[in-house]
Amino acid sequence: MEEELLRLQKEACRDLAALQDLKDLEPFRVQYLGRKSEFTGLMRKLGQVAAEERPRLGKLANDIKVDLEERFATRKTELEEAARLEASGISTVDLTLPGRTFPIGRLHPVTQVMEEICAIFEGMGFGVAEGPDVETDFYNFEALNIPKHHPARDMHDTFYINESLLLRTHTSPMQARIMENRQPPLRMIAPGKVYRCDSDITHTPMFHQVEGFLVDRKVSFADLRGVLGVFIARMFDERTAMRARPSFFPFTEPSAEIDIACVICRGKGCRVCKQTGWLEILGAGMIDPEVFKQVGYDPEEYSGFAFGLGVERIAMLKYGINDIRLYYENDLRFLSQF
Amino acid sequence: MKFTFDWLRQFVDVNAAPQELADRLTMAGLEVDAVEELFTGLDQVKVAEILAVAPHPDADRLVVCQVAVGPETVQVVCGAPNARPGLFSALALPGAVLPGGLSIKKSKIRGQVSQGMLCSERDLGISDNHGGIMELTWLHESGVDLVQALELRDTAIEVDLTPNRPDCASVMGIARESAAFYGRSLQPPVTARDIPRLTGENCQFSVTVLHEDCPRYAARLLKKVKIGPSPWWLKKRLLAVGQRPINNVVDVTNFVMLEYGQPLHAFDFAKLGGGAIVVRRAREGETLTTLDGVQRSLAPDMLMICDAERPVAVAGVMGGANSEVDEHTTEVLLESACFSPLSVRRTARRLNLATEASYRFERGVDPELPPLAMERAVRLLCQVAGAEVADNGVDWAAGVKKNAPITLRVGRVNDLLGYAFQADEISRMLSAIEIEVRPLENGDTLQVTPPSFRVDLEREIDLIEEVARLKGYNEFPQTMPLVPMSAAWQDPARRLRQDVAAAMTAQSFFEAINYSFVNPRHLDMLGLAEDDDRRRTVQLKNPLAEDQSVLRSMLLPGLLDNVRRNVNYQVSDIRLFETGKCFVPGPGLEQPEEKTCLTAVLSGRRLPGAPLLHTGEEKCDIYDVKGVIETLLASLGFSAVVFEHSRQAAEPYCEPETFARISVQGRDLGCFARLTRKALSQFGIKQEVYFLNLQLDSLLAAAKDSKQFAALPKYPSVRWDIAVVVPEQVRAGEIVEAITHSGISLIEQAELFDVFRGGAISKGMKSVAIKVTYRSAEQTLDDETVNREHQKIIDMLLNRFGGQLREV
Repeated sequence: MEEELLRLQKEACRDLAALQDLKDLEPFRVQYLGRKSEFTGLMRKLGQVAAEERPRLGKLANDIKVDLEERFATRKTELEEAARLEASGISTVDLTLPGRTFPIGRLHPVTQVMEEICAIFEGMGFGVAEGPDVETDFYNFEALNIPKHHPARDMHDTFYINESLLLRTHTSPMQARIMENRQPPLRMIAPGKVYRCDSDITHTPMFHQVEGFLVDRKVSFADLRGVLGVFIARMFDERTAMRARPSFFPFTEPSAEIDIACVICRGKGCRVCKQTGWLEILGAGMIDPEVFKQVGYDPEEYSGFAFGLGVERIAMLKYGINDIRLYYENDLRFLSQF
Repeated sequence: MKFTFDWLRQFVDVNAAPQELADRLTMAGLEVDAVEELFTGLDQVKVAEILAVAPHPDADRLVVCQVAVGPETVQVVCGAPNARPGLFSALALPGAVLPGGLSIKKSKIRGQVSQGMLCSERDLGISDNHGGIMELTWLHESGVDLVQALELRDTAIEVDLTPNRPDCASVMGIARESAAFYGRSLQPPVTARDIPRLTGENCQFSVTVLHEDCPRYAARLLKKVKIGPSPWWLKKRLLAVGQRPINNVVDVTNFVMLEYGQPLHAFDFAKLGGGAIVVRRAREGETLTTLDGVQRSLAPDMLMICDAERPVAVAGVMGGANSEVDEHTTEVLLESACFSPLSVRRTARRLNLATEASYRFERGVDPELPPLAMERAVRLLCQVAGAEVADNGVDWAAGVKKNAPITLRVGRVNDLLGYAFQADEISRMLSAIEIEVRPLENGDTLQVTPPSFRVDLEREIDLIEEVARLKGYNEFPQTMPLVPMSAAWQDPARRLRQDVAAAMTAQSFFEAINYSFVNPRHLDMLGLAEDDDRRRTVQLKNPLAEDQSVLRSMLLPGLLDNVRRNVNYQVSDIRLFETGKCFVPGPGLEQPEEKTCLTAVLSGRRLPGAPLLHTGEEKCDIYDVKGVIETLLASLGFSAVVFEHSRQAAEPYCEPETFARISVQGRDLGCFARLTRKALSQFGIKQEVYFLNLQLDSLLAAAKDSKQFAALPKYPSVRWDIAVVVPEQVRAGEIVEAITHSGISLIEQAELFDVFRGGAISKGMKSVAIKVTYRSAEQTLDDETVNREHQKIIDMLLNRFGGQLREV
């Protein structure tokens, strides 16, 4: 009796493990746990065994029954789950396959940096204005205290359209255009394309500048240093050292070149900064009284500062771009890096 | 401006390394571009004496020299024509690596041992002279290091001068600045005390200045001049700063110009007609052949130096060949003058002639300098050319204006610089650079007189800059300006461009930026008609190249160039866009109109960069372009977009079947299409390209949809499908439109979901399937109600388009 019970248990376990399909469950149940099953038959025969053996064998039979029922229920759950997964197709999921992306494009790196520059100044309350690419000689030069035959014109390799029109060589003409139409206090930036007839590995004939200026009563050179210090801290990082050097622009006085500690070597000296530890990033100065006179402001009453920065140069420093010509080839292998 | 460290130290005792000096100069506003050690690579080069020269047994052009190097004698094979016994020259010993990279080894040349190389000046990197081995005729001792014998150890420093500092276009000028910041005194070779009085009396020549563009003209006559090569010390200075020695007279004038910043000119006195110098403007029709051999036509506003009859030099620019100093010259008239910057610049521009002299005169030469520089040059000519100076000379200085005193307000300095200077600190700083300062009575105002060499200091603001510069720009604090708060103005055109760019990048386009100037041939490549408006372009007068010579009238060609480039680099799945200006010429000399456009191109796979696994190789088509426009305009707030297909209106570079114009509110915005194979082949593109073009200015003028809330529906909708078989020429969009505009009630939406040809559908016909959504605002719809409306639609469609219902 005992041997038979244990044999049945063993056979049932083996068959249950071999079950692969939900529809085979019922025949199994009938075969091993049904009312007409061999096991039920054995249970019925328990009454015939010796009375002293009966409690032990009875308990054994019952334990086996409970065990088989539990095993059956577990197996049933397993098979049902498997069937459900298969039905939903989820059983073949492979999370190493790529996601179904919708790729997004990117702005040109020059635009990205230009927007970043504008955003920093907009955050300080500067307005943004754009002007014409084809500018008059008057606004590009004369209004900025660069009369005809001034040697400073040598600093601008100018593309001319005719005797009075040219491609603007800087975005500074916006200073005069804005000031002649409005009264201080003023703080504006003017981003845009500018042009110089110069082309080599460090120059493209078209590039981008952001001009900025602030005019009010009692604006000082120290204020210029302050505002540019904030810009540099935001554009690069708080630890980036800044230095100003005397320079010359006909429309500012005092005029300055602003350097930052080399972002590559942190000022130790490397190829990018030509071992100087410094990188020239913008020109600036106090607006020259002659410029104020041109637009009808009294230079005794108002003062202000102006600055101009080259966007390509800053983008090169930020992203480590080593060849300025890459900007205008529009190679997707380049554009997709930013 | 290039000078050498050793040269500078003759005038000021600078006790610093060249690089440190360079850094100080940079911070003083004299930006140093380069610091370069001169004459390097000459370690193993010695002074050697040729003892004997014998023909090479196996080479006609070579000789075998026995050369003394100190106590030793070595054999050297040489090919120079000037190798001769008794000549001292430069010998590179084995182990030397010459400046050109040549390594010297002991070798055999055609069987003859050669223990070094006798060098030309070019071999040594000293000059570009390669006519023979270097002749060191003034040396008498061999075996000495060449660097030591020629005193070559020096460092060249190049300053990128700003136009306002012509006073620093000289070694003296740099020395003066250096003396100020190192606190040393300047020791010029000639001072004002050394100059004899030049009265012009009893002169062998006359000077007549007829024009105000020449404020000062000094001249002296030198006799018994022996023209010849300059001594080495003089040549060395010129070579070190990149100038070519010519002869002793010319070299002295160049040397003094570099030293003092005063351009000088030497005339052959024998060639000056009438022994006269007349400074006047050119006469109509006059010509002059300048020293560079070019015959120049002169204009009446050009200032000339003339003799009694004809021009002999372009004032301040270049001398004339007709009065040039040559090897037969024995009497030299030396000119040291000042000319108006504007006049020199105008003339130099007109003649397209930029010289060291014009560079300095254009920026302004110290009017007190001519006699000083003249004296320095006269002394040098006596020294190096054996000249004897005639007793008297001319110094016509009637046009010189003294620098007027400038009032400098201490309060103004402090307001503008954001600092708290005291008057005495300002006085001290300015005095250090020879600026005369006198405090006025109230103590807060200074009367400042700049020295004559500071032609840039004319206004109070110029002095304020000088104060800031002398203090050091980085000594000033960083403060934030106190300005009234205000709302910054926002430019709607800029906002629109930003929104467009955001919508385009969101649709997987990359932004391109192309040059504004393009190839005029682009328009031919697109096949534009001769009278097409876009052929009226704005042309550059001085383009860098023909393919960058006109301002673009459309953005598409630039983007097509980009497509070709990308395909050539194996990136053939492309979505690029550009927002930029197109230029339309204005009337006459007026500024062109600048129109902002958006152009985008699509080519290759539908979604570049999306996983191949999911999207496959499927290529984009015309519906992708149309979809981009719809998404873009919807995101910008324009829903009622009209696409008008028109074969007739198609651009010549577009496939007519795929061409449509785009408009909102009756305002034409642009177009889209597939490009023709022909146009693409012109741009070297072999794959299909689709494009869209929108005028952003027109879009800016259109009114956006107003955002108006509509209550959400309370009752559910019902969706029924209709499929009709209609003739091919019926456009699917017309059917949808007919339904939505039918006036039949309860229709909420009609959406196409299938267009099918073939199968059971007969040829020339197509099946168009539409899902119609019905909804009532008052109740839940029952089948009977919907069926009634649905039947109306079917009847209307069959009636109107002559099709038949297809069972679905």
